[in-house]
Amino acid sequence: MQYEEAEKNKQDISLLEIFWIFFRIGMFTLGGGLAMSMVMRHELVNKRQLLDDDDFCSIVAMATAVPGLIAVNVGYLLGRRLRGWKGIILSVLGVVLPSFFIILLIVSLLLPYFYNPMVVNFLRGCAIAVVGQLAFASYIFSKRSLRKWSHLAVCALGVLILVVFKFHPIFALIVVSLVGYWLFPEKKV
Amino acid sequence: MESLLSLFISFMIIGIGAYGGGMVTIPLIQHEIVVKNNWLLLDEMAEIFAIAQMTPGPIAINSATFTGFRIAGILGAIVATLAVILPSISIFTLLTPIITRYKENKHFCRLRNNMQLGVLSLIFFAVWSYGSAVIKGFSDLVIAIIAFLFLVYFEKKLHPIVVILTCGVIGLIIF
Repeated sequence: MQYEEAEKNKQDISLLEIFWIFFRIGMFTLGGGLAMSMVMRHELVNKRQLLDDDDFCSIVAMATAVPGLIAVNVGYLLGRRLRGWKGIILSVLGVVLPSFFIILLIVSLLLPYFYNPMVVNFLRGCAIAVVGQLAFASYIFSKRSLRKWSHLAVCALGVLILVVFKFHPIFALIVVSLVGYWLFPEKKV
Repeated sequence: MESLLSLFISFMIIGIGAYGGGMVTIPLIQHEIVVKNNWLLLDEMAEIFAIAQMTPGPIAINSATFTGFRIAGILGAIVATLAVILPSISIFTLLTPIITRYKENKHFCRLRNNMQLGVLSLIFFAVWSYGSAVIKGFSDLVIAIIAFLFLVYFEKKLHPIVVILTCGVIGLIIF
């Protein structure tokens, strides 16, 4: 099934283009996988219309729910969706390589310059924007998956478990999923 | 050789345990690198987190490359980075046949649809943990809220990277 879809998309996007999109995203995105996925959404859903928002959100949800780095997980699933296993290799490389080279560059050459106040201030401004971007991710997901007040209540239970009781995230995911399973048999994605 | 192997094992553990986004992974990374293996001092670790947080890419990958390089040069950087992404790739490769098999099962679908609520809790938590690490005052909060509003209002037109770079320039001017 997934590979059929990948076949269908073959005409729409070349392997090189996949690598280039993900490389650019890896290059300019601070704040890790979730923030990154909003840039991917812009490139793949809004700009190129290679997949719709439903597909995209269920891919990000799957990537977040499964252990592993969210950025790599999202890259893996999107790469597969777009061009099968070749897509996986290129999208994951695209996500990982920029961080790898940037850190190598910093640790071997640029470490002294990194504490230049201008660099620090610029990066701090960027990091603050990432908070807004993460809030934007939660807005996109809320719009899709909170259909009733009771959905919000169950979701808030998860946040409570994390923020107040400081349990491990996987525990919150399991509790919320099971409570949801029990309360909302008809829930659509 | 021995240090390469323990680098590999430690970062694979970090790769599996990296759950719910960067900020949640920090204690685990710290435990593996500082407490268990004494590869770095706590001060050096704090430096890495500061750099990882402010450079592009996931924190786990950034700290893998950084620590690997410090311990065993370029080869160490490659080994640690591969180790941290390996779990993601192998978990999905193993999971795919299972997911494909139960795709039509109604209990599986019901669980998966409700899992989105759990994922949303994790995203809210990511906003909270990243926000409380980065936002230090009222002006920071205002910038973050304005960035959010721009992203929401110009959802289809505005590239998110533009918003981030603009905020970088604002940071340059006002801080």
